[in-house]
Amino acid sequence: MTIDLKQLPQLHPLFKLLSSGAHLNRLQDSELWVELENHQSQYETLFAALGFSLVLDGRGYAYFKTDQASTYTGKLTRRLALLLMLLFEYQADQGLHLFQFQQWQLDTPLINKLHIHYHAILEAEEITSPQTIKEILDSAARIGFLVLEDGVYRLQPAVHRYLDLFQELAQAERNDPMQTEDDAGDTL
Amino acid sequence: MSLAQYGFQKLVLLNSAGYSRAELPLDDSVSIIAPNNTGKTSLINALQFLLILNKQHMDFGAHSPENTRRFYFPYNSSYILLEVLLPSGMAVIGCVGKGLSHDYEYFAYQGSLDLDDYRLQNGHLVAQPKLISRLFECGKPAKIYQQADLRALLYGNRQKQRSDDPDLTIFPLEFTSQAGTYQRILTRTLRLDRLDSREVKTYLLEIFKNDLQDRSVDFKSEWDKNFADVNYDKSQYDAVFRNKPLIETMENSQQTRLGLRGKIIQWRPLIEQGLNDWEAHFQNSSIELQQRFESLTTEIGTLEHRQKAIFQDQANANIALKEHEKKETRYQELTVRFQFVTDGTQLEKQRQALQEQRDDLVTRIKNAEQHQSSDAIKRNIAKIRKERDELNQQLTNLNDNFYLQLQKLLPKSSFDLLTRLLAKSVLSLSVTEGNAIDLHDKPAFQSLIGVLESKLSGNLLKLPGFSLDISALEANLTLKTAHELETEIDDCTRQLSALEKLLQTVETLAQQKQKQTGVERQIKALDNDIQDYQELVSLKESESTRLQTIAEIQRNIAGLDQEELTLADNKKSLAAMQTSLKTEQGELQSQHQRINAARHQRLDQQPPFNFLEQLPSLPCMEPAVLVMSALADQIENYNRDCQKLRQIDDNLSLQLSKLHQEGVSKFQTQDSAEQELVALFNYTAQLSQEQASIERKARSAVVQVAAILRDLRNSLESFKRRMREFNNKINRRQLSDLKVFKIEPREEDALVKAIQTLISTSEQVDSGNSFDLFDHNAVLDDKELNKAKDLLIKEGEARGSLRVEHLFRLVFIIAKEGQEPAEFEDIDSAASNGTVLMAKLITGLAMLNQMQDPRKQIKTACYLDEAASLDQHNQRNLIETAAEFGFSLIFASPEPQITARYCVPIGNVQGKNTISRLNWQILEAITAENQA
Ligand SMILES: Nc1ncnc2c1ncn2[C@@H]1O[C@H](COP(=O)(O)OP(=O)(O)OP(=O)(O)O)[C@@H](O)[C@H]1O
Ligand SMILES: [Mg+2]
Repeated sequence: MTIDLKQLPQLHPLFKLLSSGAHLNRLQDSELWVELENHQSQYETLFAALGFSLVLDGRGYAYFKTDQASTYTGKLTRRLALLLMLLFEYQADQGLHLFQFQQWQLDTPLINKLHIHYHAILEAEEITSPQTIKEILDSAARIGFLVLEDGVYRLQPAVHRYLDLFQELAQAERNDPMQTEDDAGDTL
Repeated sequence: MSLAQYGFQKLVLLNSAGYSRAELPLDDSVSIIAPNNTGKTSLINALQFLLILNKQHMDFGAHSPENTRRFYFPYNSSYILLEVLLPSGMAVIGCVGKGLSHDYEYFAYQGSLDLDDYRLQNGHLVAQPKLISRLFECGKPAKIYQQADLRALLYGNRQKQRSDDPDLTIFPLEFTSQAGTYQRILTRTLRLDRLDSREVKTYLLEIFKNDLQDRSVDFKSEWDKNFADVNYDKSQYDAVFRNKPLIETMENSQQTRLGLRGKIIQWRPLIEQGLNDWEAHFQNSSIELQQRFESLTTEIGTLEHRQKAIFQDQANANIALKEHEKKETRYQELTVRFQFVTDGTQLEKQRQALQEQRDDLVTRIKNAEQHQSSDAIKRNIAKIRKERDELNQQLTNLNDNFYLQLQKLLPKSSFDLLTRLLAKSVLSLSVTEGNAIDLHDKPAFQSLIGVLESKLSGNLLKLPGFSLDISALEANLTLKTAHELETEIDDCTRQLSALEKLLQTVETLAQQKQKQTGVERQIKALDNDIQDYQELVSLKESESTRLQTIAEIQRNIAGLDQEELTLADNKKSLAAMQTSLKTEQGELQSQHQRINAARHQRLDQQPPFNFLEQLPSLPCMEPAVLVMSALADQIENYNRDCQKLRQIDDNLSLQLSKLHQEGVSKFQTQDSAEQELVALFNYTAQLSQEQASIERKARSAVVQVAAILRDLRNSLESFKRRMREFNNKINRRQLSDLKVFKIEPREEDALVKAIQTLISTSEQVDSGNSFDLFDHNAVLDDKELNKAKDLLIKEGEARGSLRVEHLFRLVFIIAKEGQEPAEFEDIDSAASNGTVLMAKLITGLAMLNQMQDPRKQIKTACYLDEAASLDQHNQRNLIETAAEFGFSLIFASPEPQITARYCVPIGNVQGKNTISRLNWQILEAITAENQA
């Protein structure tokens, strides 16, 4: 396939965003998203040539798939995975539908509740205060898993990655109860 | 299968794609059988020339168009021919090579495909130049067609057909406009490339286009268009609201300005008049004031003169009064002094008595002054008195005195001695008991005197310690007779009395003289009294006259005092009048200066004063009267008013431009700044109504915008409905072992919700539910609404416009028996190869079928390359499903597929592929299953 770079005006910002490890979310980054959608195959080819594997999920997010995670993202990923898993569990207990996670309002009261409810588990990951939770969420926001709007975090479509993983693990557990969720986050 | 079924009959290749000749049945399912790399795919692909026609849509995989052309049309006798049974009868559509350039051209005719028509007597094939005449000879009047024309013909686009063209529609589409889409899907279906949800979505949107209000919404421009007014009004409202205090200040200024203008207009002619008259007024007033001043000075002079005279009179009167008062006092004194004197003779008598007393005294004093001194007289008296006393004593003690005793008792010698030694008085002493001398022991006394006489020798008495010559001593006592004594005593007494009288006179002389002086003084006082008394008498006589005079003088003085007082008052008031005249003069002078200054400071010759009457103003209600004496004040006030007006003008224009900067532009269209202000003030006064009207506008704008969005949402709903139908269509038969195979739209929740928010707001607004002035959920401030709007604008801007396809994505939902349905975007990843192939094919065929006019069923063909990957069960299903959608299925595989009706092996003659009708093997169904 021949790629005309002139037809890809957003290449630079797109590459910058994606190569930083961030996620592109459909409604959050509409312009880039539309660009990516319109020239999906060109971008895929181009990025592949650069050594990146572009994943564009129709549920509304895109990212570069990498095999190795840096220690930082590794730690963040692990902590975020834990947080999100607890959040999903908590919200499911509240009778909320997991697939509507984009509508959830992750506000301070909810964060406090999570902190209280899962105090012990969070402690083990050195997440000792609601403030730490917020810091993790802030970091996650920087790579496109959440947005902070009016002091309220909202999960972005990219969180599907975690949700998929959790379901996969749940599936695997059903199939093989001995399986543990070792290094769940790092495989992302 | 009945022959009567309209549709493809057979495909024939002559001198093309490595085939010298190929005849392929297409009226039912076919299994083309040949080893790899023989020409199965090339054979089926040849259909593209006839069905796709459009070079751009044709797809020969890795083979380039040039190679493909050379491959399919190496000679001008290369043919691809399709026989199809149409409602109008049998027809042939063909494509013939043109030779060197490997170009080709289309032709078509009505009639059946007879290969002999293309073969000459010599066994050669008819070349392209001769084709039409050859066919004509064979009784088949064929026509050469431009690719586009033929395409129009085949896809039933009547508009592009000429009236004399036969009806060659083999793809009777419901909407001929969908021909392009149909071809694209057909290409895809023929090739069964990777089919992902996005492509399916694109095709389905094409297919359902006519069911959707295919509206591309430029949401931002719609919003802006509908809200332009509202936003503008709102911005104006906000700006005005923000600046309300300033505007109120300005309104006050404007009110003041109107009043000032009225006042200035009213005063201007008066001031003009006043200034004209001033000079004369000033002169006249100056002179008058001066005259008045001078006359006052004269008046004061007169007053002062008179005052001096009064002072003099007062002095005189006072002196006279004192005089008379003194007399009166004198009279009062004298009256008191002589209150016991009844008459002047009484005093005269007293004087007479005193006069006599004095004369007596003078005589006596003259006598006394001729005698000795009083001391000498006194000494005489004392001598005589002593003499008499001694005589008296001698007389008394004449019998018993000490002298006699001694004389009797003592010798003469001793006696003499003792009479000399003892004092006369001691010798005169009586010697009776209890007297001074007591001679109680006479012997002892005689002895003693004897001792004493012993001490006497001659005349010398010698006593221890001293001696005394007694001869110096007289005998102290010689005794006289009683008679003698008595005569002597009488004599003494007579002498004594005369001496005593004389002494008294001498001794009282000073006293008498003093007495004389006293009397004389008394006389003198009495003389004085007599004089005073006379005065009293005269005063008494003049008393009534005097009292009258005093009263008169007092009255006179009171009159003078009164007059003087009045005069002083008058003078004071005149002086005051002068002072005030001076002040008045000063005042007049200063007015003159002020007026001259003010005259030069007048502003009213410059704009805006020279067209003030043309500007709006408030008539001045205070009466304006020109008062010359107040002209200075009035003109200064007038100037000040002008100044003030100009200040207000400047301020207002500054403030107005500040408002402009603040964005208040609504009223700038007014003809003048003044009208702009009026409009602004009216607007400000109606701010709450404005808010309500903006709110109303906003609501109707929401309704407008929502109407457009409602189309979008309706389209989405239609599409979802269509998708349900479509899913029914592809699920008529179970696909492979799939329990679920669906293509479903997944809404983009946020967008759909945003649209819904706008629509439901509009519905609320429309139904008047919240149409309440006191409703604080104002549309413009509705947070959720604004968020929804922003989201749609953002999305619309990113997409260029909002279309129904932006509201959802499609997913393949697939589940095998006993599995949870899972969603896939890309069907290739969803299942095994064979299943995926089937799914793709069925989806493709369903889409094609969807586009066809259900009333005109013409069976065409499609093919499944690599058919071996499907089991027979699935193959059968597939054949039947394809048939239902109006397609004969062509399998290509190295092995025969017995599920097909025809098995067609590819043979080889002289290195060229051939398929002859003779090689066709027709498989008849022998199982009950097959007959279904
Ligand atoms: N469009 C084309 N232009 C030029 N040559 C072509 C074209 N299509 C096919 N060929 C050639 O025709 C020959 C037969 O290929 P084809 O794909 O028809 O074989 P096949 O029978 O389908 O084999 P397989 O069983 O492997 O699919 C090949 O040598 C190929 O290069
Ligand atoms: Mg092949």
